[in-house]
Amino acid sequence: MKNAVGREIPATLGRRPVEPFRGAFATARTGRKAARPQKSCRPGENKVLPSLDAALEATGLQSGMTVSFHHAFREGDRVINQVMDACARKGLRDLRLFSTALFGTHAKLVDHIKSGVISRIEGSMNGPVGDFISQGGKLREPAILRSHGGRWRAIESGDVKIDVAFVAAAQADPYGNANGIHGRTPCGPITFCTVDAQYADRTVVVTNELAPYPAHPFEIQQGWTDYVVVVDEVGDPAQIASGTLEMTKSPARLRIARLAADAVKASPYFRDGMSFQGGAGGISLAATMYLSEEMERAGVVGSFVMGGGTRVMVDMLRKGLVRVILDGQAFDPVAVASLREDPAHVIMDAGIYANYDSRACATYMLDAAFLGATEVDLDFNVNVNTHSDGRLLHGIGGHQDVASGAKMTLITVPSIRGRLPVILDRVTTVTTPGEVVDAIVTERGIAVNPRREDLKAHFLAAGLPVRELAAMKAEADGLVRPLGKPVFGDEVVAAIEWRDGTVIDVVRKVEAWE
Amino acid sequence: MPEAIVVGSGAKGDGRVSVTVGVAPEVEVTTADPRLFERGIREVVDETLAKLGRIRAKVQVADEGALDYVLAARLEAAVRSALPKSRPIAPPVERRPSLADAPRRSRLYAPGNHPRVLAGIELHDADVVLLDLEDSVPPAEKAAARVLVKHLLAAIDFPNEVWVRVNALADGGEADVREVLLGRPHGIALPKAESADDVRALARLLDEVEGEMGRASRTTWIMPIVETACGVLHADEIAGADPRVVVVALGAEDFTRDVGARRTPEALLFARSMVVIAAKAAGVQASDTVYARVDDEDGLAAEAELARDLGFDGKGAIHPTQIAVIHEAFSPDEQEMEQARKIVAAAQEAEARGLGAIAIEGRMIDRPVLERARRTLQFADRLATRRKP
Repeated sequence: MKNAVGREIPATLGRRPVEPFRGAFATARTGRKAARPQKSCRPGENKVLPSLDAALEATGLQSGMTVSFHHAFREGDRVINQVMDACARKGLRDLRLFSTALFGTHAKLVDHIKSGVISRIEGSMNGPVGDFISQGGKLREPAILRSHGGRWRAIESGDVKIDVAFVAAAQADPYGNANGIHGRTPCGPITFCTVDAQYADRTVVVTNELAPYPAHPFEIQQGWTDYVVVVDEVGDPAQIASGTLEMTKSPARLRIARLAADAVKASPYFRDGMSFQGGAGGISLAATMYLSEEMERAGVVGSFVMGGGTRVMVDMLRKGLVRVILDGQAFDPVAVASLREDPAHVIMDAGIYANYDSRACATYMLDAAFLGATEVDLDFNVNVNTHSDGRLLHGIGGHQDVASGAKMTLITVPSIRGRLPVILDRVTTVTTPGEVVDAIVTERGIAVNPRREDLKAHFLAAGLPVRELAAMKAEADGLVRPLGKPVFGDEVVAAIEWRDGTVIDVVRKVEAWE
Repeated sequence: MPEAIVVGSGAKGDGRVSVTVGVAPEVEVTTADPRLFERGIREVVDETLAKLGRIRAKVQVADEGALDYVLAARLEAAVRSALPKSRPIAPPVERRPSLADAPRRSRLYAPGNHPRVLAGIELHDADVVLLDLEDSVPPAEKAAARVLVKHLLAAIDFPNEVWVRVNALADGGEADVREVLLGRPHGIALPKAESADDVRALARLLDEVEGEMGRASRTTWIMPIVETACGVLHADEIAGADPRVVVVALGAEDFTRDVGARRTPEALLFARSMVVIAAKAAGVQASDTVYARVDDEDGLAAEAELARDLGFDGKGAIHPTQIAVIHEAFSPDEQEMEQARKIVAAAQEAEARGLGAIAIEGRMIDRPVLERARRTLQFADRLATRRKP
């Protein structure tokens, strides 16, 4: 069947029936949330276990079950590999890996997939694991990718039942309070997985620094934690920046950032109390910096910024250009330090951020957002998951959540990367539908979604280079010969969920090339 | 074994093309994702070889994300190095000629053999993009650079003017001119101009090459760059040397080195004044030197304002982020526009009423002030009606 963005969606994914995407806000859930089993405790109970192996024993983890993780250490994570190795040692098989995200450091999980320890994956895949999955035939069921908010919803609703949640913590106390901002190796907030810790049958906090009771802030609460395990290493905070945080020096990319900042300045949202989402990536970082300069010049004070916390945002906070940073994950060490030092740098969990089936989303309070893409198309659809060769190489992150919430979503992309045109007739994979994208900003100009004639008028009045998307596409296409095209077969290797749990697209295995 | 000629680099956005003649013809391509890119690269190779006259050679392309025109340029440069008798490709180029007094507030330097920096160089709103074959190109890359610049000129539709800075005529500049004119730039910038003869030699060469190309005579402008003590002293004869000269630029980095000065506003004042006055006496534009500290926006703004106050019409830029600041300094602001409109309106009214003298609010307006007001409005009009990207 075809969904609302014209994508052919199978009726089932593995054993699960599929609801096709019908529109950004088309569904409304009723009924009750899922819940974990009751359990009480008595004074004097000891939660500290000597090893991960002991934790696997104590939690009763068995083959076929689901284990969850968070990705706050990003490329520096050491917990997922350790736990999966322990699972393999114990002879467990057929596990469902449910991490918020996987990175290059998790490449060795491919061995556990090949050997059958892991047979299903749900979560973002950045790099080698996704690459491996997209070759097909390796998992028992298609992988499922969700946005930050969509993942929260899937757990709360019971779509995904977690058997054991493993929570990497930079600091924890013996009673199970844990955080990511203190200790020897702080990584920033670990709150993407607070929903895991509350809904999993068993929750294990894994830390390299056991602090005296009570360790705070209570990102992870004692009442959620079954066991605490101390290991030598949970992660390397030097690697949370993952290379996406270099300020770009490319003139073309700086121009994109400049145009994006100028677009915000020209919009009706540029006023006292404005809010915006920055994020990682060189262009987004530069756009945030340019916008902060414009705010300073105009004397505009923002209400809040969010996205991964960065030094650029911390600068804004300390200069008084914004009142609050809402932070779900830290993208550099400056942001981590600021979480300890600046009271208005506030830790936020993914539920506050973006849970579709909730009574509020912080993303709905956003005025403007700068988001990236691997591809965009003439319907303003955005792909952030796959490359033009069909390989699955990136997660969704907050892309869908922010785009559907912000009053003005700007996709900041170069029109061409090397020989690879970025504006296509149809994106390889739809991550975020054009209905929630307001403008696409490239080095060639700004293309405004026809739904937003109002914005277009503001941009034109400010003298910004408003262009047709098709005209920018034609210019970029003129620089390179047409690309080879992958021919996709029937086998579905992954599904892209919209944030409400419907399926907006699937990734199919590449069968041939034309 | 015949020797392979290699042109290009392994830098991002470039490609390394190797050509061997006298062996069995074949094409080998390596690229990041052959399934996406190889077919297109082979098409570029085949077409380029055909344009060069059905060359039979072994061609190896190591692509690093190069655009088609970059690959074509690398291949052409390699083939011509391997077969020195082969004729250059003369690509079809359509370019509107520019006015002698086109707005030239900014001239953006771009290194002529650096594909990644050149990609999108036309998109930064510069009044003049100045593709450089001189200081930014190492000697060993000069031949490849002039071919790359030619292909870039042919492939890209520049919204404003595009010029090329060539080497000294005796030191590769003649070959530069012969090559890049095939790409029809609006003008040629001549570095280290020291005399009227320097300029006339370039003008004669342009006459000759344009004649060979069958173009209407004298369509390529000249920008002498004065950047030595001798050049500054001879600025007046340089500015008036040939009708092709439409703008004279000052190059402070070489000038200060030449005279042993420090690069302070005071040390440059005489040279700046000399260039401005020489240019204005010849009825052409004057363009100030570049500001080297890219991150120092305030310093750039101050220097641009100083240049404007001295009478310059524009200033060099070494990074696109400098352009907005420079344009602000060299564009009439709202107050100047308002005043100019008032003066021109008063003049029209005076003429209609048959009055000889023009007055605004009881103050007499001199002829030069009126002329200046008219120029301000005309300049603003030129900017406003210029083609948008």
